[in-house]
Amino acid sequence: MLRSTTRILRAVIAAIRPRGSGFDQPIDDHVLVETQRFLRYFPWTLRVGLPLGLYLIEVGPPLFARRWRRFTRMPPPEAAAYLAGFQHAGGLRSALLMGLRALVFLAFYQHPDVLASLGVDWAARADVLVRRRAELMYERGA
Amino acid sequence: MNAAPDALVPPEHRVAYPNVTVGETLDGNRDFAADAIVVGTGAGGATAAARLRDAGLDVLMLEEGGLHRTETFVTDPATMIHRLYRDAGTTMIFGRPPIIFAEGKCVGGSTVINGGMSWRAPERVLEHWARDLGIPDAGVRAMEPYFAEAERILHVEPNDEDTYGRNTHLFLAGAERLGWPVARAPRDMRRCMGLNNCALGCPTGAKQAMHVTEVPRALAAGAALVTHARIDRVLFRGRRAVGVRGRFVTDDGRRLGRFRAHAPLVVLAAGARCTPGILKRSRLRARMIGRGLHTHPNAKVVGLFDAPIDPWIGTHQAFHVHHFLEQGVLIGYAAVPPGLLAVALPGVGAENARWMRQYNHMLTAAALIEDRGEGRVVLGPDRQPYMLFDLSREDLETVHRGVALTAELLFAAGARRVLLPFADLPELAGPDELRRIAERPRVADTIELMTVHIMGTTRMATDGSRGAVDPSGAVFDTDGLVVADASVLPSSIGVNPQETIVAMALRNADRWIDRRAARR
Repeated sequence: MLRSTTRILRAVIAAIRPRGSGFDQPIDDHVLVETQRFLRYFPWTLRVGLPLGLYLIEVGPPLFARRWRRFTRMPPPEAAAYLAGFQHAGGLRSALLMGLRALVFLAFYQHPDVLASLGVDWAARADVLVRRRAELMYERGA
Repeated sequence: MNAAPDALVPPEHRVAYPNVTVGETLDGNRDFAADAIVVGTGAGGATAAARLRDAGLDVLMLEEGGLHRTETFVTDPATMIHRLYRDAGTTMIFGRPPIIFAEGKCVGGSTVINGGMSWRAPERVLEHWARDLGIPDAGVRAMEPYFAEAERILHVEPNDEDTYGRNTHLFLAGAERLGWPVARAPRDMRRCMGLNNCALGCPTGAKQAMHVTEVPRALAAGAALVTHARIDRVLFRGRRAVGVRGRFVTDDGRRLGRFRAHAPLVVLAAGARCTPGILKRSRLRARMIGRGLHTHPNAKVVGLFDAPIDPWIGTHQAFHVHHFLEQGVLIGYAAVPPGLLAVALPGVGAENARWMRQYNHMLTAAALIEDRGEGRVVLGPDRQPYMLFDLSREDLETVHRGVALTAELLFAAGARRVLLPFADLPELAGPDELRRIAERPRVADTIELMTVHIMGTTRMATDGSRGAVDPSGAVFDTDGLVVADASVLPSSIGVNPQETIVAMALRNADRWIDRRAARR
């Protein structure tokens, strides 16, 4: 990903990542890396389309929100309000936000610190159950 | 009984995979030859491959994805989505509304990532195929031995009660209060532990997906498997299929060398999106190829409870409500990891955080809709298959009915709020508000749907004007080219299709074997 699109993506993450309610973990860098890791598995249409969409977000404020500065220069609350407006815009803008939300939320909420704050430990449970099932199957003679 | 050894692992962690060639490690161009080529290793492909091998054919399986062994499975969604899902789970069905579609791209196909439900196609559906569509030996009695065999292959059993979590008990309580009978779900598993990781691959090995059942069985019997092999098209001599050609690809889709595989029998089992895509790229012009797409969409409905549920503990979908199947609605429930559930909840930033703080109080249920409308698969300018599907007016009504019933069940179970899949009606504050679903304008665009059950895109029929393949799965106007996946199902079946795909592949494979014997 180019440096310019990475800069926009970083600002998008800052705007839409969960905040408050115990979700203030400083993990934006992790979310950025995880989001970019997804890109290489996308079909070519999305690999091309997502960076274009990020540029649309960057230059969009005058068009979509009557704000006269670029997205990356907006203060965080204004940037969040601007992006929230994409949700009900329909068409490509809604789809773009839906996709970005999915990437950011997946990386954010599955971070071990966030899972711990939710009281969810799927991985530890998996270790226990794999072992337990191995014992059960051994007892069955499988 | 002696204590188990420390190094004890489940039997599925010790599965042997002989005769496997990893395509992404091959340089240059390659040629292969066999008696039968099977494209795809999901429910249909793996079943057909094993059946053909049992009949003595030299079988070559070609799979676009990689072989991921059970012992490498983890619970992190991002890691497993990269490994197991096509396009990292971003495939869309275009239309009103757009529908998210997820399918497996790995050895075992979507059986590795499904919930393991193993329902037979309902009797009324089978009778429709036999009586109304005239498909011989597709009725209840004729299909019985194939379903029985499918259940043996899949190792179908219900969940043990010790795997039930609070989500299961709430689901049962809601249904009971409403007087709705529940059906205990049969699943392809050996001693499920209730880990709830089915959609990301089962680390315990309990789910009997094709990568631990028919694929290794076929390999042990002498079949061969080439992974990372993406099919471009079928090769013909006149009207006879003589093989396929394609390219090796990496896990993330980068193209490597080319290959050709030659065989007098080509079995396509690449799924209801890619199979018609391959046929269309093979310059087959039959009008019905790609038509008849059914999506069996599901609409998510989330109940919010005062007491914690811990929805990630205990099995999912141990029960379904089939009471409304005649109306085209099946109701189930699932455990969705936080990172995926958050996407279905409203808002960004602080708003989404407020909802997600209550994650352990949420029960995620869904209405699965038996769609009557039909879409199609077309080739895009990049020669890749794209799916087009609009909800019909009747289907739109069924979605509303299904969402209302599911919300009613959640309120009956004690939910204080229910979140809906409508952007313009995101939540209900109590059962008194259920009428708002009925009053909602029937607008499709603002409904959030997803599916893992597409079917019908090269459907079986008695003639080429009504379907793409004949009642044995053979593609019309060709020789030696057959289809063995959900594409061949002649109509939407209204339940999870895995077992029906397996049963139909068994039924059709017997016909191909008989035909081959008769020719000799």
